[in-house]
Amino acid sequence: MLDYMRETLELMQENLTRTILTLIGLVVGVAAIISIQVAAAGMAAAVNGAFRGININTFFLFPKSTQGSTQRANLGLSDLTLLERNVPGVETAIPFGQTRTIVSAGHQHVMLKFGGESYRRFSTAPVVAGHAISRTDVEQATPVCVLSSKAFSRLFPHAADPSTVLGQSVYVGPKRYVIVGVLGPATLSTASLGFDINNDVVIPYTTFYNDYQRGRPLFGIQVLGSRDATLATLEANSKRVLSQAHGGSIYQTFDFGFFTKQIDGFFGVVGTIVSAVGAISLLVAGIGIMNILFVSVSERTREIGIRRAIGASRATILIQFFVEAFVLAFSGSLVGMLAGLGIGELAQQLFIARISGTIAALPWMHAILLATLFATVVTLVFGTLPALRAASVDPIEALRYE
Amino acid sequence: MNDIAIDLQQIFKTYKSGSIEVQALRGVTLRIERGEYVAIMGPSGSGKSTLMNVIGCLDRPTSGNYHLDGIDLSALDDRALAKIRLEKLGFIFQGFNLLPRTDALKNVSLPLFYAKVSPRERRERARAALAEVGLADRGHHKPSELSGGQQQRVAIARALINNPAVLLADEPTGNLDSTTSEEILALFESLHRAGRTIVVVTHDEEVAERADRVVRLRDGLVLSDTPTARGHFSGGSIVPQEATPQS
Ligand SMILES: Nc1ncnc2c1ncn2[C@@H]1O[C@H](COP(=O)(O)OP(=O)(O)OP(=O)(O)O)[C@@H](O)[C@H]1O
Ligand SMILES: [Mg+2]
Repeated sequence: MLDYMRETLELMQENLTRTILTLIGLVVGVAAIISIQVAAAGMAAAVNGAFRGININTFFLFPKSTQGSTQRANLGLSDLTLLERNVPGVETAIPFGQTRTIVSAGHQHVMLKFGGESYRRFSTAPVVAGHAISRTDVEQATPVCVLSSKAFSRLFPHAADPSTVLGQSVYVGPKRYVIVGVLGPATLSTASLGFDINNDVVIPYTTFYNDYQRGRPLFGIQVLGSRDATLATLEANSKRVLSQAHGGSIYQTFDFGFFTKQIDGFFGVVGTIVSAVGAISLLVAGIGIMNILFVSVSERTREIGIRRAIGASRATILIQFFVEAFVLAFSGSLVGMLAGLGIGELAQQLFIARISGTIAALPWMHAILLATLFATVVTLVFGTLPALRAASVDPIEALRYE
Repeated sequence: MNDIAIDLQQIFKTYKSGSIEVQALRGVTLRIERGEYVAIMGPSGSGKSTLMNVIGCLDRPTSGNYHLDGIDLSALDDRALAKIRLEKLGFIFQGFNLLPRTDALKNVSLPLFYAKVSPRERRERARAALAEVGLADRGHHKPSELSGGQQQRVAIARALINNPAVLLADEPTGNLDSTTSEEILALFESLHRAGRTIVVVTHDEEVAERADRVVRLRDGLVLSDTPTARGHFSGGSIVPQEATPQS
C-alpha cells in the first residue's frame, strides 16, 4: 500500500501542473465547507456565551399588540402573584419595565438603564459589595438600589472600592435611592448582540411600580422560571392562567430562544449557501479527479499491460488506482482543510471574538475526520470508474507492439 | 517433480469479432520439457503470438488442456493466473515493455513488488539481477537513457528475477541489430546452460538455429517439430509430431 502511495506521489510530481489544477477545485470546496463550520461553531459559542449574562430561563409576556390591548389585557400586580402561585416552575414574575434616564450621584449625571428587580435575580452578575435586592425590600417597597459595575464606575469615577459607596444615595429626578449593593461585571452579556436586558441601576420592582407604574396597566411581565422548568410549558401555562383570569387569550410570550433561532436561521442560510458552493466545487473537483485518472489510465494502458503480464492481478491494479485516487483526493482535502481552518480562524478573530470575547476551539479532529471522509467519498464516487477501466485493460491488447 | 514444463493438449483459440470468427489455434499439442530451449516459427498470422499468450497465461484457450509445471491451469481464476505469471513465468517482448518513467533497478524489481518482497530485499535482488545481465552500473538509468540491447537486457533481468520455471520471448531480437541480437542470444544460451526452460518466437532462421528444437506453425497448427543440429547434440528426447488435421 505504501509503495503504491510512493509511486502515486512520484507520478503527481511528474505531472505537477495538471495535478495542482485538478486539486484546486477540491481545495476550494473543502476550504469553503470547513471554514463555515469553524465560523458557525464560533458563532454558536458566542451566542450561547452572550446569554450567560442573564438567567436563560427567562421569558417575557405581553398583551398581543392590537389597539388598546394593554388596557383590555389589564395586567396588574395581582397577576404577578397569580403566576407565582398557579404556574408550577415560575420562580418570580415582575413588571416589564426599563427606562433610560438620568441618574445622579454627587456631581455625576449619567444616562443609564433603570428598572425593577426581584429578590430572585434575573441577572447572573456577581454581587461584589453589599447585597442584592432582598425579599423585605420587595415586600416593603423600600427606596433602595443596586448598581451594576458600569453604573458604579460611571457614577463614582473616583471611588476606589465598591464597598465605599454603600449607604450613599443616587437620584432619579426627585426620587432618592440608597445604594445597598454593587454588582461585578457579568462574564458575558446580550449587550454584545445589540441589546441588553440587564439594567444598570435596579430597585425593588415593587418600588419601581409604586414610583413609575402605579395606576396604569402593566406593559408586560418578565418571568423567571426554575432551572429545571421547560420554557415552552411555562409560557403555555402562564398564558392559560392569565387568559382564565382575564377572559380571552390575548397574551403572547418571547424568550431568548427567539433570538437564538433568528441567529441560527441566519447562519443556516449562510451555511447552506456556502455548503452549496462547496458541494458544487467538490463535484467539479471530483470530476476533475476522475478525468485525471481516466487520462492516466489511457496514457498508462501499456504500463498496466506490463504490470499484468508481470504478475499483477486485476484486483491489484484496481487497488493501485484506488490508492492513486485516494492520495489525490486526500492531499486536496488536506490542503483545503488547512485553508478552511485558517479562514475560519480569521473570521473568528475579525468578527466573532468582538462579540463574545472568546474564540471557539478549532474543531481540528472534526476537520481531519472530515477531510478523510471527503477523500474517501470522492475516491469511491469518482475513482471507481477509472479504476475499473484500468483493471479491465486487456494485457494482450496493451502489449501488442506497433 | 515433473519433467514436463509445458504440456499443451489440443489447444484451440477462436477470436470472434462480430460475426467473423478467426481460428488462431486449431488444435495445438505440444510438450516442452524442463531445460529445453525451443524456437517457434511460422509465417505471419500463423498463431505464434496467440500460442505464446496462452502459454504465458495472458489468454485462455477456447478449448484444450494446458498444464504448466504440473499445474492444470484451466480451473484457475484471474488472481491465481496472475500468481502463476508472477512465480512461474518470465516474459520478454519485442518492444522491451519497460515502464518508461521508472529506472532500470525499479523496473527489474517490479515483479518482487507484486510478490510482496520487502523493499530492501527487492533492491538487493534487482541489483544482483542487473549485474547478471552486465548492467550493474546502469541501475539508475531510465529506459530512454539506454540502448535497445541494454533495454532488452533489463527486461531479461526483470523476467528472471522471480526465478521462473519458463522464460517466454516473443521476437526478442526483432527490434535489434545483428550485433546486439548476438548479445541477447548469447545471454539466452548461458541461461539455457544454467538449466532454464526457454521458448522463443522468431522469424529469423539464425535465431531458431541456436535453440534445441524448432516448432513450426501454419494456420494455427503445428506443421513440424524437429530438433536442430544443436538439439541432436544435446540429445533432447523429442518425438517429432505430425500436424493434426482438424475435425
Ligand atoms: N484479438 C484478436 N482478435 C481477432 N483476431 C485475432 C486477435 N489476435 C490475433 N488474431 C488473429 O489470429 C491469427 C493469429 O495471430 P497471431 O498474432 O498469433 O499471429 P503471429 O503468428 O504472431 O503473427 P506475426 O508473425 O505477424 O506476429 C491472425 O489471423 C490474427 O489476425
Ligand atoms: Mg506475433
